[in-house]
Amino acid sequence: MHKASTIREDGLYHSFCGLVSVGWLYQKIKDSFFLILGTHTCAHLLQNTLGVMIFARPRFAVSLLEEADLSSSQPDISAQIEEIKREHHPSVIFLLSSCTPEVMKVEFEGLAASVSTPEVPVLFVPASGLDYTFSQSEDSVLQALIPFCPPAPPEDKRVVFLGSVNDAIADDFSLEAARLGIPVAGFLPASHFHELPPIGPGTIIAPLQPYLHKTATQLRNERGCTVLSSLFPFGPDGTRRFWEDLAAQFGMKVDLSDREAAAWERIKRHTDLLRGKKIFFASDTLMELPLARFLKACGAEVVECSTPYINRRFHAAELAALDGVRLVEQANFHRQLRTIAETKPDLIISNIITTNPLVGQGVVAKWGTEYCFLPIHGWAGVNALVTSFTRALERHSKLDPLGSDPIWLTGMMPSSPGGVISLQS
Amino acid sequence: MRLAYWMYEGTAHHGVGRIANSMRNVHAVFHAPQGDDYVNAIFAMLDRTPNFPAMTTSVVSGTDLARGTIRLPDTLKQVEERVRPDLIVVVASCSTILLQENLEIAAKHAGLQCEVMVYDANPYRMQEIVAAESLFTDLVKRFAQPQPRTPHPTVNILGPASLGFHARHDLISLRRMLKTLGIEVNVVAPWGATIDDLRRLPAAWLTIAPYRELGLRAATYLEEQFGVPALLDAPIGVQPTLRWIDRLREMLAQAGANVPMPPLTAFSLDGMSAPSAVPWLARTADMDSFSGKPAFVFGDATHVVGITRFLSDEMGMPIAGAGTYVKHQADWVREQLAGYVDDLLVTDEFQTVAARIAELRPELVCGTQMERHTSRRYDLNCMVISPPTHIENHLLAYRPFLGFDGADVIADEVYTTCTLGMEKHLIDLFGDAGLDLPEQAKTAAPPEPAPVAVAAESPKPVNEPAVATVAAPAAVAAPAAPAPVAAPAPSPAPAAPVDPVWAADAEAMLKKVPFFVRGRVRGNVEKYARQHGHAVITAQVLLAAKEELGA
Repeated sequence: MHKASTIREDGLYHSFCGLVSVGWLYQKIKDSFFLILGTHTCAHLLQNTLGVMIFARPRFAVSLLEEADLSSSQPDISAQIEEIKREHHPSVIFLLSSCTPEVMKVEFEGLAASVSTPEVPVLFVPASGLDYTFSQSEDSVLQALIPFCPPAPPEDKRVVFLGSVNDAIADDFSLEAARLGIPVAGFLPASHFHELPPIGPGTIIAPLQPYLHKTATQLRNERGCTVLSSLFPFGPDGTRRFWEDLAAQFGMKVDLSDREAAAWERIKRHTDLLRGKKIFFASDTLMELPLARFLKACGAEVVECSTPYINRRFHAAELAALDGVRLVEQANFHRQLRTIAETKPDLIISNIITTNPLVGQGVVAKWGTEYCFLPIHGWAGVNALVTSFTRALERHSKLDPLGSDPIWLTGMMPSSPGGVISLQS
Repeated sequence: MRLAYWMYEGTAHHGVGRIANSMRNVHAVFHAPQGDDYVNAIFAMLDRTPNFPAMTTSVVSGTDLARGTIRLPDTLKQVEERVRPDLIVVVASCSTILLQENLEIAAKHAGLQCEVMVYDANPYRMQEIVAAESLFTDLVKRFAQPQPRTPHPTVNILGPASLGFHARHDLISLRRMLKTLGIEVNVVAPWGATIDDLRRLPAAWLTIAPYRELGLRAATYLEEQFGVPALLDAPIGVQPTLRWIDRLREMLAQAGANVPMPPLTAFSLDGMSAPSAVPWLARTADMDSFSGKPAFVFGDATHVVGITRFLSDEMGMPIAGAGTYVKHQADWVREQLAGYVDDLLVTDEFQTVAARIAELRPELVCGTQMERHTSRRYDLNCMVISPPTHIENHLLAYRPFLGFDGADVIADEVYTTCTLGMEKHLIDLFGDAGLDLPEQAKTAAPPEPAPVAVAAESPKPVNEPAVATVAAPAAVAAPAAPAPVAAPAPSPAPAAPVDPVWAADAEAMLKKVPFFVRGRVRGNVEKYARQHGHAVITAQVLLAAKEELGA
């Protein structure tokens, strides 16, 4: 296997807490409830990061640790579990850890077991912001679901797609598999707790999201299934490789080169725009590797791809395709700013915290966070994927030239921290 | 322990971030897990500044726990190198504070040239408001220097801050009034202030601190320590603004400055009109119907007091109830609202506020973004008058709440949020016949981007433009219509023990009520049924309820 060289820094970068995964998982698993044992901080985090989705009756909440609760090493959450069952009638409750109870050394497995019933299981999910970033805790949630996937006999040779995608994307993948003659056992996670797919030694696990290596590894170890090692299904290149490699697992030799060529042809206007452009990844969703690989395939120059973590086995195919690209784990934000000033990228994929301020420094930047919610998977997602990159470039090039006088970019706040490295020459 | 969904206040470290991000050359460093870095996003998204928020998380990871503050000195060095601040404020978070580390020693170890202040904020004892107010007060105490007064009368404005509710707008409004009075501003803080500005605070002749939540204690300190008198009223509404100006002039006169009162027209935006159109609007026939529209007000202390009095005194609206989540200001709020509100609701649990709103079913809810969602759920009119806010509350145009200009803004907001009077009469009179018409107006001018499709409840829209024109005078004023939440059967109040069921004949009658008031009528009739012990709402019960409630 090709050994890509990566740089590991001190992790002083901006990011979100892993608890944010709740924002899409509670919507994906429709009969679930997510309970975080945490503090006011966790509640404030969820409120603000999921603020765009605030509803009067969310299916997630915080079991709030207050000062008086800090002295007890094993908090009692039974009253809150009852309240949740009464108000929301979930089929499953995920109990998520957070920083404070981890520092308190709360024994979560036991706590979850003490309130779990066969009718409504309460599953422990390690998710604290001490150890998990942004999309990572989806991995913990899916791990917690593994025991509830029924065992499949060895002769049951079917694919299970791994990763939460919306129902439309799931339909696309089911249809595409049917077209290729690949038998599908289901999706992990499924839309409902009792619809989890059977998994056994004959199962092929096909990861749809690049942040699920713990679940994939556990399934391989515990159920003896095969984890597909391929590109993730993003872009014409990734989608072709994904389906060809998956078909090969079923003993089929499939040639999707025409399909890939047609897909590239459809987005030619966009790839023409991206060709030769310098792109810098400074986002935190763990989707950076496949996205950078797609842009490289588009002809763009990826000057740096920073990502929170790289797993050499789970990301092996992506790492091989990214040969020659500067890859950074646990990046240092101050250093990134210096590199950005030196390399002057045409487009920075950043996170929601730093994007607007980067634009304020005179570069084009866009939210990497969006990729967790955009339908960019498979053949149907190719257009959404490529336009997500070109939209920012095209929009900025169309804007009137007022930005050349800094007065129009001073924003609405008089405070201005001194000494910020100007990214404009 | 309790189950919490939404919080009214942010955390202590968020409060610290608000002060640091307000000031120039002040930076906050959070000794915290990476997960706590999210507060940066709130500033970047809502304040939408072109600069990086003035705060950095010195990441403590699970493996660092045993090694404690090991990374803090290096983070401090990196921040000093990149940002070159005058002051770094270091604060622990809810998890790291349990480690009981000595951050002073770790900070000293960094050997920085700039000042470093380790701020001892216990996140279990203080939240955003107290943390921000205490830090700001500490900074003023630390830096304010004794000095002679400025040669001409000047004032400080304390309180505007990053993520403050319409803070920039309020500041503009205050500055406009001061300019009209010919009074110069010495220092605005924390917003835009440097450490040097804090040093200059005692040179002012007077301090204006309109918010109960931020600036009050610093203003009081300046009065006690340096004899700078403090004007602590919030000029919300026309009468309070007039009194505020009188008080300002009086206090300056006592300090030896004669500030002549210009003609009132000088305060207007065009220099030749009334400073505010609210007194005239309140006297127009348009407003007669508002005298029967009860309002419920909930939010921080400053805005709840100001808005409740404004609605009652200047718009002539009955007050159905009021409340605040700022518990340490509850006594002040209660005292200020004596005669307006009998049973002030004091809670920081949004479910409790939602239950009160469901019970009262007011015509107008003035609240935070949480009440906005609650109001959508119950199909009630709502305007946001207090933090916590949503991105929708961070608009570009000048929308102050303070001063004469603010009175106009609030009155407009009330007027466009409530169902208009003439429209209501038309609905009452022609309700049965006019079923489809308002939907036409709705499609022509959707009032706000509501999350739920209108179509879900709309009976087939009729595409007859001529009909829409007939409905014009009232129905076309679509912005006044409530948010089109199309919950087919709005959930009843959580407080209700028994939910009455609707009989088919009553349901059929209810369908004839225009959809945008149907939810409220449904709620009122259910409330009536519960009060009168009807388990089934028949046509008879509905009629009786209509008779009694006028619904």
